Order: sequence, then C-alpha cells, then structure tokens
Amino acid sequence: MNQLLEIKDFSVTYVNKSKKVYAVKNVNLKINKGDSLGIVGESGSGKSTLAMALLRLLPEKNTQITGKANFIGKDLVQLNQKELKNIRWNELAVVFQKSMNALSPVHRIGPQIEDIYRVHKPNASKEEIFSRITYLLRLVNLSERVYTLYPHELSGGMLQRVSIAISLVHNPKLLIMDEATTALDVVTQGQILDEIVKMEQTLDVTRIMITHDISVVAASCNKIAVMYAGEFMEIGYVKDVLKNPKHPYTRGLLSSFPSLKGEKLKLTGISGYLPNLSVKQEGCIFAPRCQQATEKCKQEKPLGVEMNENTVWCHLYSSGGELINEDQKPVYKD
Amino acid sequence: MKTKSPFIKIDKISMWYPQKSKNLFMSIREERKWIKAVDQVSIELERGEILGVIGESGCGKSTLGKVLARLENPTNGDVYIDSVSTKELMKKDTKKFRRMVQIVFQNPFDTFTPRDTIEQILLRPLKIHGIGKTNAERREICIKALESGGLRPADEIMKRYSHELSGGQLQRISILRSMLFEPKFIIADEPVSMLDVSVRSEIINMLLTLSKEKNATVIFISHDIALTRYVSDKIAVMYLGKVVEYGDSDTIINNPKHPYTQALISNCSSIDPDEQREIIKIQGEPPTPVNPGPGCYFASRCFKASKECFQKYPAATEVSEGHIVACDRWY
Ligand SMILES: Nc1ncnc2c1ncn2[C@@H]1O[C@H](COP(=O)(O)OP(=O)(O)OP(=O)(O)O)[C@@H](O)[C@H]1O
Ligand SMILES: Nc1ncnc2c1ncn2[C@@H]1O[C@H](COP(=O)(O)OP(=O)(O)OP(=O)(O)O)[C@@H](O)[C@H]1O
Ligand code: SF4
Ligand code: SF4
Ligand SMILES: [Mg+2]
Ligand SMILES: [Mg+2]
Repeated sequence: MNQLLEIKDFSVTYVNKSKKVYAVKNVNLKINKGDSLGIVGESGSGKSTLAMALLRLLPEKNTQITGKANFIGKDLVQLNQKELKNIRWNELAVVFQKSMNALSPVHRIGPQIEDIYRVHKPNASKEEIFSRITYLLRLVNLSERVYTLYPHELSGGMLQRVSIAISLVHNPKLLIMDEATTALDVVTQGQILDEIVKMEQTLDVTRIMITHDISVVAASCNKIAVMYAGEFMEIGYVKDVLKNPKHPYTRGLLSSFPSLKGEKLKLTGISGYLPNLSVKQEGCIFAPRCQQATEKCKQEKPLGVEMNENTVWCHLYSSGGELINEDQKPVYKD
Repeated sequence: MKTKSPFIKIDKISMWYPQKSKNLFMSIREERKWIKAVDQVSIELERGEILGVIGESGCGKSTLGKVLARLENPTNGDVYIDSVSTKELMKKDTKKFRRMVQIVFQNPFDTFTPRDTIEQILLRPLKIHGIGKTNAERREICIKALESGGLRPADEIMKRYSHELSGGQLQRISILRSMLFEPKFIIADEPVSMLDVSVRSEIINMLLTLSKEKNATVIFISHDIALTRYVSDKIAVMYLGKVVEYGDSDTIINNPKHPYTQALISNCSSIDPDEQREIIKIQGEPPTPVNPGPGCYFASRCFKASKECFQKYPAATEVSEGHIVACDRWY
C-alpha cells in the first residue's frame, strides 16, 4: 500500500493568556495515495484546526503542535518556514470556503493565476502557463473566457471553481478542502463535487474533504473520519461507516440527517452539547452525551479497535471488534 | 373541484423591485427594469398543512415569505386567511394580524437584541398583545413554554442574555416565542440552516409538534431538499420568482415532472454511498430575475427546451390530482 500521510499522536492546543483550548488531542490517521477522506463532525469539533495545523497555517505564537505528521518522508510538524514554502501549492494545497474571496477584485482572473504559477516556476513560458491554466479551467467546467474576466463578473459557484483550479496549478499530491462547497446551492455543489471526483482520477491527487455535511462525503469520498471534541470516534470506508456505523456518535450524527428516498423516519438528534475543550476530561469524551455510557466509559479512554481496516474508539467493542454485550448494540432513540 | 374555500389562499401575488439604473439620464429614456423577485404566485393551503418551498439561491423564497407576512407590501395580488384579505386585516387591525401570522428567520442571533435578557424579550410582546393579566402570569406562560421546548431550568435561562445561549437554544426560543401568540400561519425561513446537524432535528421536531398541536399552517422555506421532504405535506418549487411545480411532497421528490425539479433533485447528494446518482446537468449559471422571459424562464438552461419554449411562458397543467407543472413538455 502506498502511504501518503501518517499522523501520529498529533495534538493541537491553542494557548491564550488565560486558558488553553485542547482543540485536537492525540489523533492518529493514515491516508493512502488515491484516497479521498472526508472529515465530519459538528461545529467546533476541531476539523479546521487539524487541517490548518497540518498545513502549518496557524500562528506559531499561540498554538502548540505536538506529535508527528509524516508526509511523503517529511514530518510536517518539524519543517521550517523555507521548507514549508517549498511544499505549499507544490505538494500540499488547500481550498477554503472563503477562498473565492481571496482573489483580487482589480485584476483579471488569468493574470492572477499566472502569478501563482510563477511562484514555484519563475521561468515558465507564457504558452506553458496559458495551456496549463486553460486545461485546469476546463477540468472544473469553466470556459477559457474566464481567463479575461474580473472576479465580480463571476458567480459564487464559478469563483469557487476558479479557486479549485488555482489549488491544482502545480499538481499537488494532497489537496485539503475545508467546507469548500458549503456556501453553494445544491445544484452548483452537486456539479462541483462531480467535477472534483473526475478531475482527481485524471490528476491523481489525494484529497481531504472537511465538511459538516455527510452527504458531501457520501457523494465524493471513499473514506470517512468522524471527529468529536478534538478526537476521532470512528474511521473507515464510507460504504461501511455510513451503511453500518459502529460508534454511538456516528449513529447519532447519521440519524440527524433526513434522507431523500425511502420512508420518512422520525428525525432524532444528539441531545446535549460539546464539552468544554479547556478542561481535559477523563474517560470517553462522548460519555456525557452517550446513551450507552457505563462507569468504565467515564473513567477509561477507549483505545482504537480495528476491524477490517475500520477503526472505532468505543468500549462497546472488544479488541477483536465484536460487540462485547449483544444487548448493548448501539441504538438511537429519543 | 374543491367547494370549501381554502384556509389560506395566496392569490397571484407578486413582488417586483425597480432596478436602480446606474445612469440617471439613461433611466428616463430607458425602459424601466424590474427585478421580479416573486411573480404571480398562487397557492392554497389547508389548516395545519405544511408547505415546503425549495429552489436555488435567489429564486425568491425569502421574498415570498416576507410578502406573506406583509413585512413588505406586494406589488400585486393578495393573500386571504379564512376568505378575509390580509390587506384588509392589516388595515383594520395590524396588531391582530401580526399576532396571527408569525415569521421565524434564519439567523437567531439577529432576532434578539443583545441588550435585553430573554425574559425581557419574551415578556414585552406578550404585554403588547395583552396575553396574560399580570407580569407574574406572563412569566409563568414563558416558563411553561421554555420547559415544553426542553429549555431547562427555564427561570435561569430567562435571566440570560442572547449571547449567553447557543444558536440552537436561541432558535428554539424564537420558535417557542412565535408560538406563544397561537398563530394561525407560521412562515419559517431556513430556520435551521445556520445550526449544527445534531441540534437541527430537535428544532424541526419541535416545530412539527407545535404546529400539529395548534393546527397552524406552516410555510417551510429551505434549500435542503431532503429536510423539506421530511417536514412538508406539500412542496412548491420556485424558479426565478415563479412556482414551476407544486404537489404532495412525496410526489414531487419521487416523481418530479418539471425539468428543473428533476435536475434539482438529481443534484442532491444523499448519505447513502451506494446510491447511483444520475445527475442532470443544468447548463449555465442561474439568470437574474430582471425582466425575464418572454418564454419559459428556464429555457436557456433546460435540457428539454424546444424552440417554442423561448416564445411563451408555459401554462400550468394539472398532470395528476393536485400535481401542477408549469412546463409544456412535461410528458
Ligand atoms: N485561535 C483560537 N484560540 C482559541 N480557541 C480556538 C481558536 N480557534 C479555534 N478555537 C477553538 O477550537 C475548537 C475547534 O475549532 P475548529 O475551528 O477547528 O472547529 P471545526 O470543527 O472546524 O468547526 P466548524 O465546523 O464550525 O468549522 C473550537 O472549540 C474553537 O472554539
Ligand atoms: N429589496 C430588494 N431590492 C431589490 N432586489 C431584491 C430585494 N430583495 C430581494 N431582491 C432580489 O430578489 C431575488 C430573490 O431574492 P430572495 O432573497 O427572495 O431569494 P431566496 O430564494 O431567498 O435566496 P436564498 O436561497 O439565497 O436565500 C434576488 O435576485 C434578490 O437579489
Ligand atoms: S466508550 Fe462508552 S461513552 Fe464512549 S461512545 Fe462508547 S459506549 Fe458511549
Ligand atoms: S417549458 Fe420548455 S424550457 Fe420550460 S421547462 Fe418545459 S421543456 Fe424546459
Ligand atoms: Mg471549520
Ligand atoms: Mg432566502
């Protein structure tokens, strides 16, 4: 198997004057070449923090990053600014929800992309750049015409497509998208997701997709990591986790989504709120909201249990991945 | 044909905004341009019925909601509640109308002033509308309402300011507050789109229970089609200010006839990874509702369009009982 990124015991802590926020806590994760991994979880669970820390885009002054993030032979945690500069855009690229606002309003789209192209390839010829950019624009379903337009002449959906094209100029190995389609309406989002999946096969990029919308993951990813309060609850193939979720939190999250087809089931949610991330909590982090929590859950943090390449962090399962007590089958009821 | 008149009758309602011209002199000579945010919408609703309104961003959903609540006066048309014109109702007794028709907005943080406590925010309108005789009685009503919505301990929550509550809690309070007036008609404009999925369902279920208990008619505006299907009895699909398809929510989702609805639904992702999506591509970007037409507004993006489609706006056809489609080539 061809491993691209391995995160080990990775933690991110925000340190402010008065308090610390433990936003990501000792997480472990492996991503293979060609994977598309969706990271989901409710607001404040640490998804963006994890991505920003991997990209080393968090201000060093008030963040602590510990652990390892092995990215094709380099540890992202240890790289200095110069080394980081070399791999950004080139090997590691990112698209944010607000990326489309980052374009300068007074310059045409084409020349703006040319500038970004020249950052890593200062000697590239005009023809080389033009053919690369128009190729990428076509990949995201935009016409060459866009090259000569100003940002205000494009709709939100078109601008976000431009941002995606820009992120691909240097053929990165890993592309991180943080809520990149969230602000768009269904039609545009559906089309862009489709384009992303196709383009990925053409360009051979690996993708991390951060979103709170599980349907985005179902439509565009092969793996999913469910995050809660700075920790992973369950990681596995989309087809397994969404069809047959093991962790009580994953079940709760899925039952909050109504489906378009089939019977109209009663919508259930997860009552309660995220814990205070400034205090370190003993035991399973989800225990205060979990309907199946036992005394053990409140005292001992569950270790990852592996079952056919899927991992779940929950005391309901034995180290072999079996349910310890059949009566304890995770259910969700009001 | 129905013999009984409907509880709520939206009768050819329109909201047109004049487009501001960049050039003052031009505007005199130039033909006046209109943004037809809502254009001749007619729908009938029964007591306790929930209508979902879906469509792309900018198609006029919020404008329709505002006009129905008469936060803006429609350019044309009227809405009747129990056969009484709401225009007349507003003229005769604004307070009564405001009580009867409630609107819940997308952003709960904008709904409440940050300067007042929840108690002040809840008590004031009750007093204005003369609900409860004394302040103590009004407090009691509020506490009961908060507790019924799972906001406990209610008397402690009443003391807080809006910024001391989460978005989900605030949105629940805003729905509970609107129910205090026992409205007959509730317009909920994307009431959960700002909230986390895990708290969404509580709020949706609360809205459903309350409307069932009080037999109130609800218009549920959303761009989340799966959620709308879950919530609504009927669905209206809007495109550039017009309703292009209307019917039972399951019919609209499972058997859409209008090319736009078909495309819209095919583009929705579900959480089932095995589902094979057959996406119908919609060409181009949504046009703006400035002097659209003369033909079918969707024609420039429609995969089924013919030459005729560009010439006249298609008539609404009842393709099966209660299922109405505004397309000449629906078959
Ligand atoms: N600069 C900061 N200083 C202190 N705490 C922070 C800072 N930035 C984020 N946090 C906190 O860290 C936690 C994780 O935030 P993060 O933005 O990573 O969440 P998220 O999962 O991306 O949420 P969302 O879905 O809302 O984007 C939150 O509790 C947040 O309040
Ligand atoms: N006061 C106004 N003056 C001029 N144009 C307006 C006004 N209010 C709305 N519009 C226009 O009317 C159209 C419909 O807007 P509306 O807000 O109703 O759309 P919507 O369906 O609610 O969209 P969204 O899903 O983005 O909320 C848009 O083109 C908008 O720009
Ligand atoms: S470890 Fe215990 S508290 Fe945590 S999710 Fe599993 S059952 Fe619930
Ligand atoms: S009338 Fe013509 S253009 Fe309009 S939706 Fe029907 S087929 Fe398409
Ligand atoms: Mg985020
Ligand atoms: Mg709106």
